Amino acid sequence: MMGTPIARWSLALIAFLIGLALVAQFRSQARPVELTSLPVAELSTRIQTLSEANGRLRTALAEQRGLLAEYQAAGAQGSSALDVSREELRRIRAYSGLAPVEGQGITVQVSGALDAIALNDLINELRNAGAEALAVDETRLTARSVVVQGARTLEIDGAPIARTFTLLAVGDPDGLVAALQRPGGIVAQLEQFVSAAITISETDTLRLPATATDLAPEAATPVE
Amino acid sequence: MNVNHSARGRIRIRSGWILSMALALGALGFVAAAQWNSEVQRTSYTTNAQQTLAEQAVSLEEEQDLLQTQLAAVEAELADIQAASEGSQTALAEVNEELAETRLAGGLTEVVGPGVVIEIADSRRVLPAGENPANYIVLADDLRDLVAALWHAGAEAIAINGERLVATTSIYGVGSSVLVNTAFLSPTFRLEAVGPGQLEERFRVEPAYLGRVAQRIEAFDLEFAMVSSTDLRLPPFIGSTGLRWAVPVEGSE
Repeated sequence: MMGTPIARWSLALIAFLIGLALVAQFRSQARPVELTSLPVAELSTRIQTLSEANGRLRTALAEQRGLLAEYQAAGAQGSSALDVSREELRRIRAYSGLAPVEGQGITVQVSGALDAIALNDLINELRNAGAEALAVDETRLTARSVVVQGARTLEIDGAPIARTFTLLAVGDPDGLVAALQRPGGIVAQLEQFVSAAITISETDTLRLPATATDLAPEAATPVE
Repeated sequence: MNVNHSARGRIRIRSGWILSMALALGALGFVAAAQWNSEVQRTSYTTNAQQTLAEQAVSLEEEQDLLQTQLAAVEAELADIQAASEGSQTALAEVNEELAETRLAGGLTEVVGPGVVIEIADSRRVLPAGENPANYIVLADDLRDLVAALWHAGAEAIAINGERLVATTSIYGVGSSVLVNTAFLSPTFRLEAVGPGQLEERFRVEPAYLGRVAQRIEAFDLEFAMVSSTDLRLPPFIGSTGLRWAVPVEGSE
């Protein structure tokens, strides 16, 4: 019976079906890429995040269009154009960490054995919560700032970080505090897993220095 | 007697055949049941509410693309106006030249240069029973570790799937998605980093960050590839650079 064509074709068909089912099963384990396959909670978070981000983009677009109008009204060589450029330079230098800034925000005092990854995660959380400027003690952070384990202590941009240090964040104090202190959030995780004592306080006027790091690139050249 | 021997042979053959078919059908049934279970789970997600939410999300992503395109066009126009005065020796020209250098340093300018390209994607391994699916996908932590190692190795500019990293950038996990700047990114994640020579060599010896992600790549078969390049082109950051809370300190320009 095993040797008959019907038997062989039957087994071949079953093997084919098993193969199809295995492929389908394998695919069902992958990360959902279609939006409709995401859980409702994740979709809601995504919509909220996109709405807020688009709001910021609309504001940025309106501001840059306003800047363009100022240039056009001033004329390319006039003293008004100089004022517009100076103000833009001040803003971009502050944004990039090349100029000192002051403003409302929060002070995070940390005492404990944080490792480099934990501190970078804390900084990432503050950026995600909308911090506009950050400093670890007297070191202003830039895009390139990374906490690393030095010979004796943690370091950031070449500056040592003591076991007790202060993280300063300029931004919406309520939003920053809420992001750090949410249940199961970064502070709860650090206090539980890294044995760090973290104290957060809102501050009316923080003053953050400019970075001491030279950000002028050597290998990257601007596209003309 | 011959007839009887022949009948016993057919019975033995038929028993083997039945056993083979039973095993094959059993395997088919098992896999089909597993697949059906996951289909049921997946189908149950796609409710009307879910469909509506997904449509809203798509609409917002399209709006974001449009806003970024418009913002990029205005930024380009501003850069043209500022560059127009750079050739002359006026105060305006000097300020605009410094502005161009500052924008370059801050990641607000498109750049070219040598560097490395890293691609990392979810594991293709079939999820073993009882395992956490999150182990087999690329997480925001993995991208943060790779980015930290690249900066520490001397990278001067980094982009992930075309999103340029700047002072306010966070790399954040939202459910199964990764948010970079304002964009939700999906695998494969492509990290492009421009930096001086030996960037790849210095990157590979960074123990603290690569240790964690390397372990995950090894343990869960995450897809990973890295190659050096002599001519990468990274887009500028397109987004809000406005300061709502931080005020530049007077005289800092």
